[in-house]
Amino acid sequence: MNDNVVVVEDLVKYFDGRCVLDGINLKVPRGCIYGLLGRNGSGKTTIIRILLGLEPPTRGRTFLLDAESTELSAKLHGRIGYVAEGHNLIQNYRVGRLIRLCKDLSLQWNDEFFNHLIETFRLPADRRVKELSIGMRAQLNLALAMAIDPELLIFDDPTLGLDTVARRQFLELAIDLIQQQGRTILFCSHILSDVERIADKIGILAAGKLVVDCPLEKLKERVKKLQIIFPESAPTNLNLTEIINQQIQGREMVITAANWNKQKQTVLETFRPSSCNEIPMSLEDIFIECTKPITGSIES
Amino acid sequence: MFALIKREVRDHIVYFIGAAAFSAVFIIMAISILHNYDLRRQPPAFSIVLGIPALTIVIFGICAMGSTQMYLDKTRKISALLSTLATSRNRILLARVITGILAILTLLVPLIITAVILMRFFTLLIPFPMFDGVVFDISLTVFLMAFACYCIGLQSGWNSNPLTPSLGALCLTCILLPLIIVKGFGLHIVVILVLFIVASLIRTWHTFMTTSL
Repeated sequence: MNDNVVVVEDLVKYFDGRCVLDGINLKVPRGCIYGLLGRNGSGKTTIIRILLGLEPPTRGRTFLLDAESTELSAKLHGRIGYVAEGHNLIQNYRVGRLIRLCKDLSLQWNDEFFNHLIETFRLPADRRVKELSIGMRAQLNLALAMAIDPELLIFDDPTLGLDTVARRQFLELAIDLIQQQGRTILFCSHILSDVERIADKIGILAAGKLVVDCPLEKLKERVKKLQIIFPESAPTNLNLTEIINQQIQGREMVITAANWNKQKQTVLETFRPSSCNEIPMSLEDIFIECTKPITGSIES
Repeated sequence: MFALIKREVRDHIVYFIGAAAFSAVFIIMAISILHNYDLRRQPPAFSIVLGIPALTIVIFGICAMGSTQMYLDKTRKISALLSTLATSRNRILLARVITGILAILTLLVPLIITAVILMRFFTLLIPFPMFDGVVFDISLTVFLMAFACYCIGLQSGWNSNPLTPSLGALCLTCILLPLIIVKGFGLHIVVILVLFIVASLIRTWHTFMTTSL
């Protein structure tokens, strides 16, 4: 059995001649919580849809639970919980009927846990799905995905539309799931504080490429934002590779660099800066820097 | 699979009710016409009077059912949800086709049973020449015609451009009608219909399996 639950190999996807994914390689090990980040339209949802076999790739291969996505069997689907962006539920069904359908089409169904979730979220079984608020639809989708006791959970912006309390409830549920060994979660979100709270590993998509793919702690170690003051005007080029962002104002230069190491520090010192201070960065800062047009690549 | 078929039947119950109602009305009309006609003086022209409009309604109804099933799936993204549950696209399509067959049988089985009973009854009163397998041949042909129309419906419901399947249906009608008029019901019609159904189902299956959900 492979240790990687999700494998993406050289994935390329074009939509109407426009390249959305350009040679993505990605591996999510068993038990890992992988936070996949990217701006709107960066291809996060497309990767997930290709992984689940909902969208054909232009080139490349993807695997879920050791099976190729295009050949996922019903049994394998039964081991995967999925919360789609926009909560793709059958709108004209009543909640009760949708629950029964999902239950009938599941391999296993944790009634106790599901009923607990339904009570927590206060979801009405007699209303039609289209009559629910976006937040309630998100909660219903979450409950349905969790009820099957999935080995792999794929969340595509699961907290979109949830209020603060519901979002906190969801995160606590996710943490509960993490504590159950062997669960793997692939998690896309725009709320970076959520991702920062639960993710072990981070991937950042920008311009169709995976510019970051490493553990969260390592990412924070490797991406450095430095404020450098030079005795005279700052040089325009430091001859350093993997500079993510660079701003010059007179004697001051602020650079964001990927894979910062001693060699790069030595190169920087040849320019004899007066001072060099590190500016602390949150995941949000790193994300903003990484998704600007020119980026380096940070891989584990 | 049973859950998928149950879902399809429930979602398209109107077609099953329609089929049963149509069947009942047709049976009542057939019995009433047979009862009032003097079969010794007039030939059984009621079969033409009733048959042509009835067949038209059946063809449009069954075609509409296939088309609705696929169109609603596409617009409501039903398969997009179902295929993330413990099932597969193959099973979703198979359940849909089985539902279509069930609807056709709901329509045809009562009609066939009535036809057999009526023919037995009237041939006892007025013996007119008839070969043994006439009911079977007509029933099989009508079933296959209805199923072929259903397949056209499946294709046109999923396609953004329904022109191609509609032209296919028109071509099929142009071939079948002269054949039935000239040669009557029989093996040649059955072979053409089976070939058309197989081709149509393969096309639908290929489109459904490879398209984005």
